[in-house]
Amino acid sequence: MNNGDTHVLLIEDNPGDADLVRLRLVEGDSAVSVSCVNRLEDGLASMTKQPPSVVLLDLNLPDSHGADTFRKVLEKAPGIPVVILSGQDDEVLAMKALHQGVQDYLVKGDITSHHLERVMRYAIERQALIRSLEMSRKQQLEFKNQFLSHVSHELRTPLTCIHQFVTILLDGLAGEVNTEQRYHLGTVLNSVNQLRAMIHDLLEATRAESGKIRIEPRCINIADLIQQAISMMAFTAKEKRVGLEVGLDTRIPFVYADPDRVLQVLINLIDNGIKFTPPDGSVMVKACMVEADPNMIYLSVSDTGRGIEPEAKTLIFERLYQDPNSIDNSRAGLGLGLFIAKELVELHGGRIWVASEIGNGSTFSFTLPLYSLPKLLFPLITHEGQLRDAVVLLTIELTPVSSTPRGNWKEICRQSLETLRRCVYLDKDLVLPVMGIVGTSETFFVAASTDVERATIMMNRIRGQLEAGAGFKGAGALKISATAVTLPSGEDARPLEDRVHAVADRITEMAMKALASKPSPGAANGDVSAATNKAEAN
Amino acid sequence: MEKPKILIVDDDPDLRRALKIRLRANHYDTVQASDGYSAISVAQKEKPSLIILDLGLPAGDGFVVLQRLQDSDALSSIPVIVLTARDPQSNEHKTLQAGATAFFQKPADNNELLDVIRATLPNAWPGTGAPS
Repeated sequence: MNNGDTHVLLIEDNPGDADLVRLRLVEGDSAVSVSCVNRLEDGLASMTKQPPSVVLLDLNLPDSHGADTFRKVLEKAPGIPVVILSGQDDEVLAMKALHQGVQDYLVKGDITSHHLERVMRYAIERQALIRSLEMSRKQQLEFKNQFLSHVSHELRTPLTCIHQFVTILLDGLAGEVNTEQRYHLGTVLNSVNQLRAMIHDLLEATRAESGKIRIEPRCINIADLIQQAISMMAFTAKEKRVGLEVGLDTRIPFVYADPDRVLQVLINLIDNGIKFTPPDGSVMVKACMVEADPNMIYLSVSDTGRGIEPEAKTLIFERLYQDPNSIDNSRAGLGLGLFIAKELVELHGGRIWVASEIGNGSTFSFTLPLYSLPKLLFPLITHEGQLRDAVVLLTIELTPVSSTPRGNWKEICRQSLETLRRCVYLDKDLVLPVMGIVGTSETFFVAASTDVERATIMMNRIRGQLEAGAGFKGAGALKISATAVTLPSGEDARPLEDRVHAVADRITEMAMKALASKPSPGAANGDVSAATNKAEAN
Repeated sequence: MEKPKILIVDDDPDLRRALKIRLRANHYDTVQASDGYSAISVAQKEKPSLIILDLGLPAGDGFVVLQRLQDSDALSSIPVIVLTARDPQSNEHKTLQAGATAFFQKPADNNELLDVIRATLPNAWPGTGAPS
């Protein structure tokens, strides 16, 4: 490859054929260097070590045969042109090879040096063209994303002005407004809000497409989240005289997901449900466990609308899909909602689908992973097949002072969590996934393989690090405590896994209790309290 | 008691006018600046209690203004609320790091914005915040 030389990697096990090809290559005019290996494995290794300009490949090698051979080579280095030199004139195989990305298929007996030289030159050129096409496709995609992001930014400026002056009029800041005027202004405000939601979706879909959406999973109570979604949509439902119902399994385990994103998906599905349900119909939100899939929770939103055509069931999750039979076509939206919902669910490792029958409504279902503490705890609280001697649960509670804005507070919590993760020993302690929805105060838990006495040192370290953190001073109060976790006794004959489960259950119970007993917002204003240190009796 | 003074920095005159009406109705005085350069000079002259700052500005964008406020002994303690059309995902963190108190994307909810202003000016007239 140096000095513009063509470096050929010949993968060929027959010494006679190899010599012949080498001879043909050297006979040509251009500067060519050839390395020859006789096993595929050596060929693949050589491709990594020194990427050749082109690979000449025999298909039947001691360690690989037929289509497998070129598949493995293409997989190893998709950017390097491959020319097959085969003993057989097999048109079907040749076509298959070309479709998968091989540049040419030559039959050994037909090769002249002039011919081979040209084939290689063209193969290299074609591969370079493909690469530049791929590059420009990527650039175009990037350009499109930048364009959309720019457009949605520019649209917001005039929209803000409309929003401001409509609310000024509605709030009577420019004089008295009569009932009819108020009604009309209300319609304008509704449209402004729709436009705002569309601009938001546009940017969100662009982000989803380019893989730029990040999720921050926590341990959450899905019932709370459903309730929150229901209350956010209650007004819209009431306005359209559509009932909103909830059906929850009696025992729903904690879910490991990003609450903001799950809420977004729920709102999206409920909003759709209401949109496509006639007055006096209803929308039902359910959460349940399914025996066949014990690691996921199943959520669904059903409506009593007119249902979806069978052929639309997969299209419906595509970008820009709009129901062609929609009753109120003028307000159909951009057709991005379900696309975004699908992306968000899949980012969590779940899936989303729809079941529907014309005339009998639709049910959109999606799954989310459950929160499994035992799996996370196992390597930390066991040692050589035994439970460790002591486990302590540290509770670290951050409470904002009243003037700390929510956006800022979220950021402080995020930074504090990162600091906390740096304060613990990765092989013996575990910062539990954060629980609950981001509220006024934030509580982190650490399960530490130590006793309460030694935990004090750890608490001091954590306190020092957190208080030194940027932005925390003056913005919040910090409270740290340590409680011993009751471990199954030495005589407990249950298998280790069951005992770890028991510890995990105990920790979850303790954490829940700590969260439930949190002081009401505002009560813990101001002063930084001292570390408390307590141990439970049993 | 004197009304708290809020400096509105935005290059859109219509939006400045709208914010002025909204803030006056809530018993705040306002002063205005239309670019990054005059934002600093008006702040120095008027000593506002709070600044509402756009990010996309001529003559020094919002980040430059934040930096210059932070660098000035006289101005670094004035709380700044960023109000911008830009995307929170790539800007919220950056503005808070740069010293802003809060971030709002346009169009912002009036009540949320006023809540944060009230919380940021706890001793302000008409005495909505808690005494510290």
